[in-house]
Amino acid sequence: MRRWMRVLRTPLGLAATVLTVGVLVLAVVAPMLWSDEADAVDTSNILAGPSGDHWAGTDNLGRDIFFRTLVATRLSVELALAATAIAVVAGLILGGASFLLGRRSGRIVSAGINIAVAFPGILLALFFAVIFGVGATGAVLAIGFAGAPTMGRLTQTLVASVEARDYVAAARVAGVGRVRILVRHVLPNIAEPLVVNATIGAGGALLSFAGLSFLGLGVQQPKYDWGRLLFDGVGSIYVNPAAALAPGIAVLLAGLAFNLFGESVATSLGLSSAAGVPLRADDEDEGNGSLTTEGQPATSSDDTGSDLVLDVRDLRVTFPGPSGPIRAVRGVTFSVRRGEAVGVVGESGSGKSLTALAVSQLVDDTGRVEASRLELLGTDLRTGGPKAHRHLLGTSLAMVFQDPMTSFNPTRKMGGQLAEVARHHQGMDRKQALARAVDRLRAVRIPDAEKRAKQYPHEFSGGMRQRAMIGMGVMGNPALIVADEPTTALDVTVQQQVLELLRSIREADDVALILISHDVTVVGEVCDRVLVMYAGKIVEDLPAEGLATIAKHPYTRALVAAVPDMDTDLVRPLAVVPGRPVDPSEVPPGCAFAARCPLADDHCREVEPPLATVADGSRVACWHAGEPLALDEGTGELVEAEAR
Amino acid sequence: MTLASSLAPATPRVGFTSHPWVRFGVRRLGRLLVSLWVLVTASFLMIHLIPGDPVRAALGPTAPAALVKSKRAEMGLDDPILVQYWHYFQHLFTGDLGTSLVSRLPVSDIVSQRLPATLQLALLAFLVAVAVAVPVGVLVGVLTRRGHGRRTELTFTTGSVVLGTIPDFLIGVGLVYVFGVNLQYLPVAGNETADAYILPVLSLAIGPAAIMSRIVRVEMVSVLQADFIRTARAKRLPSLNIYLGHALPNALTASLTLGGLFLSAMVAGTVLVENVFAWPGLGSAIVSSILNKDYQVVQAIVLIYGSGVLLVNTSVDVALALLDPRSTIRED
Amino acid sequence: MSTRTANPVTSSELRFEDVTVRYGGARRSFTAVDGVSLTVPQGAVVGLVGESGCGKSTLARAAVGLAPLHSGQILLGGEPVPHRGRRRPLQMVFQDPYSSLDPRMSIGESIAEAIPPGMSRAERRAEVERLLELVHLDPGRSRVLPSALSGGQRQRVALARALAGQPQVVIADEITSALDVSIQGAVLNLVRELQRELGLSMLFISHNLAVVRYVASHVAVMYQGRIVEQGPVAEVLVDPQHDYTRELLAAVPGARSTPPTPRSTP
Repeated sequence: MRRWMRVLRTPLGLAATVLTVGVLVLAVVAPMLWSDEADAVDTSNILAGPSGDHWAGTDNLGRDIFFRTLVATRLSVELALAATAIAVVAGLILGGASFLLGRRSGRIVSAGINIAVAFPGILLALFFAVIFGVGATGAVLAIGFAGAPTMGRLTQTLVASVEARDYVAAARVAGVGRVRILVRHVLPNIAEPLVVNATIGAGGALLSFAGLSFLGLGVQQPKYDWGRLLFDGVGSIYVNPAAALAPGIAVLLAGLAFNLFGESVATSLGLSSAAGVPLRADDEDEGNGSLTTEGQPATSSDDTGSDLVLDVRDLRVTFPGPSGPIRAVRGVTFSVRRGEAVGVVGESGSGKSLTALAVSQLVDDTGRVEASRLELLGTDLRTGGPKAHRHLLGTSLAMVFQDPMTSFNPTRKMGGQLAEVARHHQGMDRKQALARAVDRLRAVRIPDAEKRAKQYPHEFSGGMRQRAMIGMGVMGNPALIVADEPTTALDVTVQQQVLELLRSIREADDVALILISHDVTVVGEVCDRVLVMYAGKIVEDLPAEGLATIAKHPYTRALVAAVPDMDTDLVRPLAVVPGRPVDPSEVPPGCAFAARCPLADDHCREVEPPLATVADGSRVACWHAGEPLALDEGTGELVEAEAR
Repeated sequence: MTLASSLAPATPRVGFTSHPWVRFGVRRLGRLLVSLWVLVTASFLMIHLIPGDPVRAALGPTAPAALVKSKRAEMGLDDPILVQYWHYFQHLFTGDLGTSLVSRLPVSDIVSQRLPATLQLALLAFLVAVAVAVPVGVLVGVLTRRGHGRRTELTFTTGSVVLGTIPDFLIGVGLVYVFGVNLQYLPVAGNETADAYILPVLSLAIGPAAIMSRIVRVEMVSVLQADFIRTARAKRLPSLNIYLGHALPNALTASLTLGGLFLSAMVAGTVLVENVFAWPGLGSAIVSSILNKDYQVVQAIVLIYGSGVLLVNTSVDVALALLDPRSTIRED
Repeated sequence: MSTRTANPVTSSELRFEDVTVRYGGARRSFTAVDGVSLTVPQGAVVGLVGESGCGKSTLARAAVGLAPLHSGQILLGGEPVPHRGRRRPLQMVFQDPYSSLDPRMSIGESIAEAIPPGMSRAERRAEVERLLELVHLDPGRSRVLPSALSGGQRQRVALARALAGQPQVVIADEITSALDVSIQGAVLNLVRELQRELGLSMLFISHNLAVVRYVASHVAVMYQGRIVEQGPVAEVLVDPQHDYTRELLAAVPGARSTPPTPRSTP
């Protein structure tokens, strides 16, 4: 209910709601108030134009058209609602039938609906009008049945989408009967979209009715709806145009009201906002604090920078949110040397993907990317507009995205998509670029590369697509590959091939790698160094081989202990971190991990720990870094341990 | 993807009849034929589902019984229904659509006289609608991609929803009022002169153009958010390349289906618009025939309209299959 | 690989005998499961591993009646698994925590729906609370909607719902694959605990060998619709006999000592 109230917040929704309510009220009230005026015959004043007495003039019997238009609201609305009801009920039966009847018969019903849906409503309406006869009843049935196939198709689609959900399967497995599933599970979940579409359908029915009556096939004398008034009015349009305009405007307003109302509800029922962290008033000080005491990245303190491929300092990504700016990345500092592999580990809401996107300048322009330093191969990426650094980014930086299935343009051949890079950034012509593309496909071990280049993306398997993606990245000579969950969607054996490919490319050309993943074991195996992110900040930066041994942040240690590998102790429970990952729009003050941390105290909850360099060169953001933890054998939760 | 499935060829090549294109063609043709059969049967049944005697209803209560009887025999209405059904098919194949009860003319003459006017109107309106809707939709789509142009989006959506909701005959009446009654500038009846086409075509085209441009915009916005557009941006291609080369083809394939629906909707819209502008086409004929209970004419026109719609849908499916490389592979 | 043991069938042993499942019509049929024989002994957790498309989910769905059996039989305690009626001794927990619960039913109602008929309303309510406690959720929250729970909590509700049907065997189809890493542990610990305390028999399907090693006592490896190897976990994962098993083991991150030699490039 509350979500429907959201409609009133938009100006369009508000207008539509007011209008719709107005029409409905008028439908009820008008005949009660103005029937007499509407029926008053005055043969001395036929077909008069608009005047003070008769705002829209009179018809061929001297009756006041304005009042007739108002009174006609009831019949017009009633008929439209009746027709919609027929359409919805018939549609429900048709759509529900294919669910209840099972495969065979369901498919026949489905085929029938598909054929009927192909015919436009007016044709079906005319067809039924012939059978049911001219007049209001006939027209209601006609429009009702004409709308049934569309409603049936809609119901069917909605039912099918609910049927595919696991909770319906679970109910079937539990032995719940089909009818009960339909009533208890399917109907409540399709009710909302159905009602919205029925509202829009009511608007359509209203307009169709006006059309039918306008043709003379709908409401007949002495009854009158707007369409009938139009029919009469058009006949005398040269003498008294208002006779047609008044009902015309009425039809328009009512139809608009229903349609707009339905549309506004549909839009407001599907809102969502970007994830992020809200600003707080005292964050200014926090921000400054973290800047000055931010530990220098272990590797870059004395570097002249010639060895640095990427240098990032205090990276922040902000999105506009419903209640103030949302900060998804809250000050990230790290650097990557030539040939180095850096892993970024985190769960949902950690900001790891956005960090990668921000570094590659691929964040949507609704988001704001700020940093006190952001240099790729010594070039400051912050300067210049969107077109700046195009060449640099196009050739020295390669991106590999998560979902190989959707990362390529389905309507263009693979070879061409790779060749584009060479044509735009390396000055090659079409032939040269294609040749280079085939060469790169070969380099990423895609068999039959020439033939494959002429194929479309859907003809490649997932693993092959990821290789092609990597191939696209090495069209130039990248110094850095940024891979965002490149193997998450792949099988483990295929994952191995792709990771191996990345390794060999890195070895061959000394290419640096940023590998983002939620899988600690993958990152631990592939990377030299690991950055652990939580709630938009780096909480630990340590060498990969130290993950299991020298990790000091409780979150890192929990992550490592929570994931079983082939050597996990089978006797003890897996580590469990109570609570859930922080929702980026609701980050508490102080250390974001405090709520789930066994070592947290009041200081942790008030003051955010800076990322500080520790003796062994790694960096940790924790007030209790390194304090011993133990595993509660019963619950699996990490708890404070006695100091040894 | 398993190892084996990734090695298997995408389309199995075992002989001519299992080629996906042939299978698709056969499937589509089959569906068309079945739909046509359903249409013919429906139009046949239409007369027989009417309560009462159609001939009596057409000739009026005062017509002599003998005339009614002879007319019924002439139309074969006393034969068993299956025989009538068979005769109906036979007549269709020979092009005999019956005789008008009102004008005594062969229906096929009436139809062939009026069909061109309706076709011209529908096709012109479609072309106008597409020529306006696609560029506008694409442009506004780019302007209102995620997070941008909120105000433009609001104005455009409101405008297109309002224009799209107004039924074609109302637009027609409004245009008649403005140009016919007030300005007396353009002809509002018949199709005698070239400028007589303007108002009817506009009436028919405005609504669909508004709705179509809205859909094209939505498709464009949704395509611009797709992963492969992010890949194109990662390749640092110029914006124009991304919009026209990558986004547009994908947005169009989705809009094409709807374009086809619009054409068939426009074919149907001629029914109303022709009546507003006294256009000598099938639309005005069918209404007067229904009112006059001249059922054979109604039957024939329903058949023509229906077949037209089915043909358009089939062409759209074929065009889609040709344009989208993935579509034939998906066999439903 | 069909072996009929001479041992008498125990009352809640789940047995697949030469099961084949096919999709598609006569011309384009695709064999998803090809002659699979597998046993889940009473009180044991048997892991079923394989990569996408190997047929493990199809096998599970065939067991609970969601996919049609082409040939072979699936027996529970010697009798074919019932696919009709209110009493279903074989229950299933699904992968997607966001799709496995009806968003419009409270979690208490979802669980109660699976309880076999024959209890009074009060008994039903008590049973729901008992089940919630069993999966370490607050019984006072039975009126809460799924949208208020995390993914891990939802999976636990789904587990409770499966247990509500008083099953003899539960099939868990990739139940932790869609969960955040820090939450996975809770669900896995729960599975082990239920097996220990209730003697719950389970067929645990996963693509993750390390997870299967942690919860199961036996494991079967599936590839392209067939079981290529099965046996006690300690044996199969330490000394694999089949090439594919070896490849799978070698591909597990963090576990290899020698680089893998790819059989073929995907």
